[in-house]
Amino acid sequence: MVDRLNDAEKIVKDMEKETELSKVEELIKENKISFEKQGKQYRVRLLNLSEKEELDMLRRKKFGQLIKDKDILLEKELIATYLERGINISEIDDQIKKLDVEDIDVQIKLGESLSKNEGETIFKGYKDQIQDLRTQKQVLRAQKILLLEFCLENQLLNYVAQIITYLSLDELKDDKWQRMFLSLEDFQNYKDESIINKAGEYSMLLQYL
Amino acid sequence: MNNIYDNLIELAKSIHSQNLFTAAKEINGIRLFKNIFDFSRLQEIYLSYLYTFDTINQDMVIDKISEHVLDDKIYWDAYMLWKRKHTNKTENKDNNKKDLKLIPGKTIKFPKGS
Repeated sequence: MVDRLNDAEKIVKDMEKETELSKVEELIKENKISFEKQGKQYRVRLLNLSEKEELDMLRRKKFGQLIKDKDILLEKELIATYLERGINISEIDDQIKKLDVEDIDVQIKLGESLSKNEGETIFKGYKDQIQDLRTQKQVLRAQKILLLEFCLENQLLNYVAQIITYLSLDELKDDKWQRMFLSLEDFQNYKDESIINKAGEYSMLLQYL
Repeated sequence: MNNIYDNLIELAKSIHSQNLFTAAKEINGIRLFKNIFDFSRLQEIYLSYLYTFDTINQDMVIDKISEHVLDDKIYWDAYMLWKRKHTNKTENKDNNKKDLKLIPGKTIKFPKGS
């Protein structure tokens, strides 16, 4: 009886996995990601040509605003300002590069070991070394991201990500998909951040910045 | 959907997707996506995984590499990196052999593809 229950549980899990995979297969074929929030259906999709033109126009407009603002520094200006205060970002870059070289070196050893089928214990040893190197790199990258968060380039990238979400988010109304926001102002004033965040995450999977 | 990225890898690894990928490579007219250009980021990532697992599956049969290569992202990335480096090395060796120096100082370059 216990065996049958275990089998049944496994079959249900396999079926769930199959359903998940066929959903992903559909979204790859269609280039559209749908999701549900509070009983309503939403989706994000690739931008069409006119939306891409709108994105480009808004990006240029924003760049014009940012470059005129004396309080917003370019990345290289911000790096120079940090250096004056004793924080050397190029040292962080050098450390990351050094770890990258080590990472590639261990990866090649692991690759060779896998090709010669040297055994799980050896693979695991290399894997642990790689994971350790990557953790160190992640810490350094996070430091750098935090330090450069407010430079002009990053502000522009964040803005572009927002605009892509604004342009690519549709909602299902009366069985028809339509743009959720028809004006940028409506999008920026929208209260439910959870929908915007979800849509933002999905739109970045489809679209390059 | 839990994690689209993980599911994408699972899908690319599946026998069903690998069969379709092989068929699409060999039979003209079989398409993996509805669009034939303007690929999304997700589609490009999916294609690269299809290629990775196709290569690994072939190497497991032909070169008898470890089956553990499919266990972990770190394993398959490392194997593909090593393979690329290894293949480049072999190709460079072969290219050097193709050009002959019959007269000192003069290299005879054989025409390619004729």
